[in-house]
Amino acid sequence: MPDRIDLKTHRDLESWVYNRPIRYAIIALIAAVSVLGLFNVFGQRPSTTTADSPSASLEVFAPEHLRGGLLWEARFTIQAHKDLTHAVLQLAPGWLEGMQINTIEPGPIAETSRNGSLLMTLGPVKKGTHYTLYMQFQVIPTNVGRRSADVALYDADQKLVTIDREIKVYP
Amino acid sequence: MDIVFRAFFVFVLLYVLMRVIGRRELSTLEPFDLILLVVLGDLVQQGVTQDDYSVTGIMLAIGTIGLLQLGVSFTNYKFPKLRPLLDGEPIIVVQDGKPIEGNMKRERVTLEDIAGAARQESIAHISEIQWAVLETNGKMSFIKKPDS
Repeated sequence: MPDRIDLKTHRDLESWVYNRPIRYAIIALIAAVSVLGLFNVFGQRPSTTTADSPSASLEVFAPEHLRGGLLWEARFTIQAHKDLTHAVLQLAPGWLEGMQINTIEPGPIAETSRNGSLLMTLGPVKKGTHYTLYMQFQVIPTNVGRRSADVALYDADQKLVTIDREIKVYP
Repeated sequence: MDIVFRAFFVFVLLYVLMRVIGRRELSTLEPFDLILLVVLGDLVQQGVTQDDYSVTGIMLAIGTIGLLQLGVSFTNYKFPKLRPLLDGEPIIVVQDGKPIEGNMKRERVTLEDIAGAARQESIAHISEIQWAVLETNGKMSFIKKPDS
């Protein structure tokens, strides 16, 4: 028998290290992470959220789960049921916190801040037409966590619709 | 700070992954395994340093991984009871010229693997082997029967 070799441990594998359930549990855990990834748990497949009012409807098409460093796009579509004289889109701070904005197209007429939210003045939107705003971002890698990404549509000072969303950023 | 956490996480993840994958896969560096290792290294680098191109960032990442490796090696030396967990245990795959099927199956070692490794040690027949042990580094060691 070679030195430091013990039949019970090294032949009959009676040591706790050879415990199969522990090994299988770790393999299952690793597999589970990949499967969860397939189901979009860690991003970055976009989802659509809509809200409707008699004056206008708003659709947001953007991912809710992201990871550090990802490039991603949000699409905001306003469908006017009545003439909007002064459409304003309000984005919660979560859209901007730890995000790098690469593009806003078409560029808003004016931008300002209201209680930490970004207000973008889009201008008039005629009844029966729609207005699409594209924003492209990149997640700053240190920006990890969950934050509110609500969107509200105003016509001047009158709030028309609100969409409650959340953005979750994985490290 | 982030880079240290990421390096720590990646080290633990890789350590667990390598322990679970098994010793055979790690010791047999076939061309595909080699490519896989390079790809793995590239993916890990992106996750650890991300867009940090600074020397400071490299120092933090390498320093953390180096220290963790030192820590594991020290723990291995200082606490023998943890050795099986951190390093694994040798496994006997042949005794008295007879392959131990259960142990071979567990480590996914075939008779061809044993015969091939034995040939490299100038052993022509498995029946000539007294002990064949799959070591923790994935290599096989052989002790021949006294009369062979």
